[in-house]
Amino acid sequence: MNAPERFSAFLLDEDIGEEKITYASDTKVSNAGTFTINKEDHTIGNLLRMQLLRDREVRFAGYKLPHPLIHNLGLKIQTSSSEHQPVDVLSAAIEDLKNETDELMRLTTIAMDNWKKENYQ
Amino acid sequence: MIAEVPTLAIDLVEFTENSTVLNDEYIAHRLGLIPIKYEDPETSRGGDCHGAFMSHRNCSCEEGCPRCEVELELDVNFDLVAPNRLEHDADLPLTITSADLKSSNPSVMPAHFVSTDEQEEAQDQGISIVKIGPGQHLKVKCKARMGISKEHAKWCPVAVATYRFEPIITINEEACTTLSLEEKQELVEVCPDRILALEGGRLVVAENAMEMATFTEELKVTQNLMKKRPEDDDYVTVEHNMNRFIFSVETAGAMDAEEIFMSSLRVLKEKLNDLADRLTVIKEQGE
Repeated sequence: MNAPERFSAFLLDEDIGEEKITYASDTKVSNAGTFTINKEDHTIGNLLRMQLLRDREVRFAGYKLPHPLIHNLGLKIQTSSSEHQPVDVLSAAIEDLKNETDELMRLTTIAMDNWKKENYQ
Repeated sequence: MIAEVPTLAIDLVEFTENSTVLNDEYIAHRLGLIPIKYEDPETSRGGDCHGAFMSHRNCSCEEGCPRCEVELELDVNFDLVAPNRLEHDADLPLTITSADLKSSNPSVMPAHFVSTDEQEEAQDQGISIVKIGPGQHLKVKCKARMGISKEHAKWCPVAVATYRFEPIITINEEACTTLSLEEKQELVEVCPDRILALEGGRLVVAENAMEMATFTEELKVTQNLMKKRPEDDDYVTVEHNMNRFIFSVETAGAMDAEEIFMSSLRVLKEKLNDLADRLTVIKEQGE
């Protein structure tokens, strides 16, 4: 009766004009802000957090899912200087992850082709 | 990422005739769980349906078209099939299987069996849906759509998907010289995965240790008992290599394992692309 539709776990709610990602700059701490990513879960949250922590300019990076039944996540980032804003650091992290994924796809295809050549003679 | 790889599964079922012992929704539920395979006509591999189909929510058609849906039909009437059956089988219940589903798209068909071995061993022609007797008739029209496992488990392409770390097994040669042959033999035998072996009186890493190791405690416990003092070095250490993973993917029949893996990477990339695009908008707004 009250159950939400299953697709609300991964589709943006267009009726309320939900955006995929919104940003709110932190008022009390400098060079910090929280990104709210809608209709995503640990898959993206943990991945982004781990990549952000590899960046030297990032002083703090953490994510949380405020409630398991509401499919949003909050990603809080604080950078070490005002030259690198949280937005910049996050887009750099996403860019790096994209390149890594591309590389992984390329190498997997090569490895699979090699295996097939060896095993299907 | 294996909960977000898109596959095809029956989503809508229209019943024309159902005089079987199972009710409509029961049969519809069973039909939904049948794995549906898409074979790329060019490469004829158990393929990723993502390129060939689009999500029915995004499709511009209103009612459903070959681009977003595949129609499958099933029409089995016991009394019409009975004359063709073997004499001794004539009274036995007839099993309606996934082999009776007829698809409107020749590249799309239910995955009846996982392998040819299973096909030879099985008694039926496919996945059994319902068994009917004399006078019973089942006639349905199904629509198969693309979806992801987050919406319903019927769209899940895998049975099991796990990962573990590759082990780093180091044997401390110096410390091993203090062990007797019996003690070395004990170390070889105590590990249930058999990651150690004895070669010419020396402890070595077994050949397939990399795939077999599951990081059990037995080696550590036995070594602690053997050591003369607790602070001594270990004879054999098994650690996780945090940089190397072993992924195990077992498919449920709709796609091949390597296709699932590549598809999951593609889905991840699309997510990242989407986020990157939205982020540039935010960046511009900020400036």
